Amino acid sequence: MKLFSRRQLPLTLGLVLATIFVVLPLGSAAEFSLREPLKNTHGFDNYTWFFVAPDFAKYLGISFGLALTSALILLVLLVPTVVWLNLGGSKYRGFVEFVSLLPLVIPVVALAIGAQTALPDFAQTNEVILAFMYAVLAVPYAYRTMDTGLRSIPLKTIVEASRGLGATWFHVLFKVIIPVIRSTVLSALFMTLALSLGEFTITSLLHWDTFTTWVTTMSQSNILGAIALSVFSLVSVFVLLLVISVFIRPTKSMVISEEN
Amino acid sequence: MSTPEVVSLDRKGAPIWGTLIGQFLKALLALAPLLVFMSIFFFAPLWAVVLDSFKSNEGNFTFANYADVFKEPIITAMRTSFGLAMVSALVSAVPGAVLAFLIESRGSDRLRQVVASISGVLANTGGVPLAFMFIASLGAEGAATGLLKAFGLDIYGAGFSLFTFWGLVLVYTYFQIPMMVIVFSPAIHGLRREWNEAARTLGATGRQFWANVGIPLLFPSFLSAFLLLFASAFSAYATARAMTNGTIALVPLMIGNLLDGNVIFDEVNLAKALAVAMIFVTLLAMVPYIVIQRRAQRWQR
Repeated sequence: MKLFSRRQLPLTLGLVLATIFVVLPLGSAAEFSLREPLKNTHGFDNYTWFFVAPDFAKYLGISFGLALTSALILLVLLVPTVVWLNLGGSKYRGFVEFVSLLPLVIPVVALAIGAQTALPDFAQTNEVILAFMYAVLAVPYAYRTMDTGLRSIPLKTIVEASRGLGATWFHVLFKVIIPVIRSTVLSALFMTLALSLGEFTITSLLHWDTFTTWVTTMSQSNILGAIALSVFSLVSVFVLLLVISVFIRPTKSMVISEEN
Repeated sequence: MSTPEVVSLDRKGAPIWGTLIGQFLKALLALAPLLVFMSIFFFAPLWAVVLDSFKSNEGNFTFANYADVFKEPIITAMRTSFGLAMVSALVSAVPGAVLAFLIESRGSDRLRQVVASISGVLANTGGVPLAFMFIASLGAEGAATGLLKAFGLDIYGAGFSLFTFWGLVLVYTYFQIPMMVIVFSPAIHGLRREWNEAARTLGATGRQFWANVGIPLLFPSFLSAFLLLFASAFSAYATARAMTNGTIALVPLMIGNLLDGNVIFDEVNLAKALAVAMIFVTLLAMVPYIVIQRRAQRWQR
């Protein structure tokens, strides 16, 4: 790796700046959360309390449950659609792209008020509604990730080749399409998880309690503890990300000839 | 289901409508899950907001809610929200685009994937945790503030504060720049190497390629990414709420307050009119977006 060659130097420089930009606030928050003003030292006091707090496990459980549900909803919704768009429906791509972009553009507060009025009562009294709302909010990210990933794979060619070699559609789906798109789908899922775990606006405006709103409530009584919680949750997400990326091979750009 | 993908033509070369309708139905079937889902959980709620915004508290039809939108203090909040969104999108779009360009053009596949997932996480940070990070680094007692002071730069002495318009802009860049990387990268990815090679073979210098081919091709995508950043900053709620505590009046916060029952005005449906006004502004930003995307799609595949 020639990190400092004439060609790579700008990239190295850019990445260093980006890392500082990302790590400085996070690192400062970490330092802050280790402060123990009463003893005037640094230590883990602000971290120990929440591991024993019963609410910690409770709200973490709720948040993870909702995040997994919303990821599952998106998987069922988006995978068939995106695969179809890349196989033969490419003339509808513009339309789907536009629809899938709207949740990023329309203010979440507006959606929250609407959900309060428009959704039937049984949906309003069940927490699972949040999973569906999170899924809506994640559509722009998940769709984009999947579509970009799938476009770099000549899916149509691969499918035609395997059909031509005599594979049944069943085999094509399980032995060809799914293995090829796996890592793309996983990164889309990861994005959905990240969004759902941190969602605040809809959750609080619909008066539900999850990990995020709990941290916000805690911050009013125990600010150092809440900072510690925030750092803990962000760092865990990054560690999780790192672990996942070690296990997944990167999607190779496989574009040979750009048809369609 | 076994209709061929090719459009059948009759002898004069006109398409046979039966096949076309068949293909349309097939498309409808493939898109149905997504469209039904979006209709129930996205379009229906928004439609309800639009309808209610024309109702008085007694349920009669009225424009009064909208009249309030153009009065103080709402109109000021509208202007502040608009300005904040514009400035933070401008400040984030350029570094985000440069970073995306460097990573797409010089990075390995693995680096691109890692950056994509990290950006996905960062673009979704917000609210109290994000506010904490900036207070801990650039607040009056923050680590970076202390560090700068040690180098003789007293930013608080110079009048800086995180809890102002510009402080908020700075905090917004933390999720806006990663968002820019996410939305702008595909455009650079689509800029094909062959074009650079073709230009070089025809005798263009690197600079000439960028001035006459590269940047003109990327500019529409840059603009549309900018519009997305604008829309997302305009609607940001959690971060604004955690940072300002009412010191800066912003429209999303006003809506939140009206919903939480801290009613400044008598009318409940005012919040809905405000929401519709916000939707209107963001949709207005989407019009140039669509026009630009159409243009960009001529070369982008």
